[in-house]
Amino acid sequence: MKIVVLIKQVPDTAEERTLVPATGWLDRDAADNVVDEINERALEVALRVKDADKSTEIVVLAMGPEEAAKAIRKALSMGADSGIHVLDGGLAGSDAARTAAVLAAAIRGTGADVILAGNESTDGRGGVVPAMVAEHLGLPLVGGLNAVVLGDGTVSGERSADSGSLDVTAALPAVVTVTERTAEARFPNFKGILTAKRKPVATVAAADLDVAATPARAVVLSHSERPAREAGRKIEDDGTAGTQLAGYLIENRLV
Amino acid sequence: MSTPKTKQAAGITERWNGLGLWARIGVSAGALIILLGIGVLVARLLTGLDPVKDFMATYPGESELPAGAPVGIPAWLGWQHFLNMFFIFLIIRSGWAVRTTKRPAAHWIRNNKGLVKTKGNPTKISLDLWFHLTLDALWVLNGIVFIIVLFATGQWMRIVPTSWDVFPNAISAGLQYLSLDWPTDNGWVNYNGLQLLTYFITVFIAAPLAIATGLRMSGAWPKNAATLNKVYPIQAARALHFPVMIYFVAFIVVHVTLVLATGALRNLNHMYASSDAVNWWGFGIFAASLVVIAAAWFLAQPLFLRPVASLMGKVTK
Repeated sequence: MKIVVLIKQVPDTAEERTLVPATGWLDRDAADNVVDEINERALEVALRVKDADKSTEIVVLAMGPEEAAKAIRKALSMGADSGIHVLDGGLAGSDAARTAAVLAAAIRGTGADVILAGNESTDGRGGVVPAMVAEHLGLPLVGGLNAVVLGDGTVSGERSADSGSLDVTAALPAVVTVTERTAEARFPNFKGILTAKRKPVATVAAADLDVAATPARAVVLSHSERPAREAGRKIEDDGTAGTQLAGYLIENRLV
Repeated sequence: MSTPKTKQAAGITERWNGLGLWARIGVSAGALIILLGIGVLVARLLTGLDPVKDFMATYPGESELPAGAPVGIPAWLGWQHFLNMFFIFLIIRSGWAVRTTKRPAAHWIRNNKGLVKTKGNPTKISLDLWFHLTLDALWVLNGIVFIIVLFATGQWMRIVPTSWDVFPNAISAGLQYLSLDWPTDNGWVNYNGLQLLTYFITVFIAAPLAIATGLRMSGAWPKNAATLNKVYPIQAARALHFPVMIYFVAFIVVHVTLVLATGALRNLNHMYASSDAVNWWGFGIFAASLVVIAAAWFLAQPLFLRPVASLMGKVTK
């Protein structure tokens, strides 16, 4: 089985993330850039398939600036076999539709049985790219799985619905996305880090792919910093605290 | 900057707070050198006085050992000393990491099966703390072996004061050090009063204090023992644990300096080669032990700790 795992390099959620004032784009220098945790989980799902069946081949695919190569190396050190890096300055700031078109074009040549991705990234939080990729490739989307079973030409799993959960199944090839409730990612070990340096990574530009040349960018018209939190109101009990509290709750429609 | 309310010159505290780190270190070092210089002058003045000369003749610096005290340092002590040094270096490093790391690279939770099994559920701790506690356990084990063999072989007489004249002798030895007329080193047979007291404090006061305060802060301590925890509050342990570490660091600095400054080859042969000869064997073994410690220091990072930690529990983010 051949599995392509989509990974995205994002700023570490544990740090302060900011936008570049001029463009409104993500400031990549403001925080440490890491592989999005949800992608590590998706990769872990793939790696567990590979643990059980050594013939499984795992390719990681990332689109991003040069620094994204580090994210690919990280995935390779965790155990993926090879990487594809879509690196093209013209793709900077691409919106979800453009990103999905480019990723789908890059996947087309790989002959993948399964395309695994996270349900949504921690920076954009759009959660639409995998569905768009599925549409481009004409494949079924099995989205938001809490548990994934891959094998015998099908993918099945459980996804949460508004009330209760659904057991879903689709024939392969398919696009599968996972939630935070799936496998906890492993740490790269020493051997993994050493061998990652020798694993092949193909760097491709947009021109190398069979994709329309029309760029599509999200344009940020305006943005502002989150205002600082205001101090709350403190009520000293002079006998009327109860009334004041009740008044506050009614005033703010909290009851 | 705020404008001072009165036009008084800045106080010492304000000036001190205005200095950068290196300036503070420089000023402290300068002050220390000046203080030491004054100390040396005072000591020289004192040792020139007749009553002090008499005192130093009565108390030459070292107390007489009890009859039957062993001579020399056996090989087992050399091993104990090496292991102790190995552990204490890594304990200080990992303890520092526990204290300063805000976001640990990994966490660890004990497998509640096998050798260590408890009724309660194990708690998740950082990988740094796991390393610190594991080293602590090994260090304590090494210490227990040391104490048992120390008393079984009579070597205890070398580092436990056996008569009250250790105090005047320590003062005498201190005066000799301070007046730069250092006492003759006789470490193979007997330590001077100051050495004896320092070793005693390190082994029988500082080490138990480090263990008691560390244990109080660890997950192994009974959290629900109300009376016990009232008598020995965790705040006390927190306040003491760090200063005890500072004591150990200060001890190591002074100890190593004096070992190297009072006949390095002979002293190193005592502890590392169990011999009173003057040759390079002890130095060679000492150098090799430093290489081992440096290697462990380098390997003490999450990448290499994780596989070891996962033998005893589960390592997660």
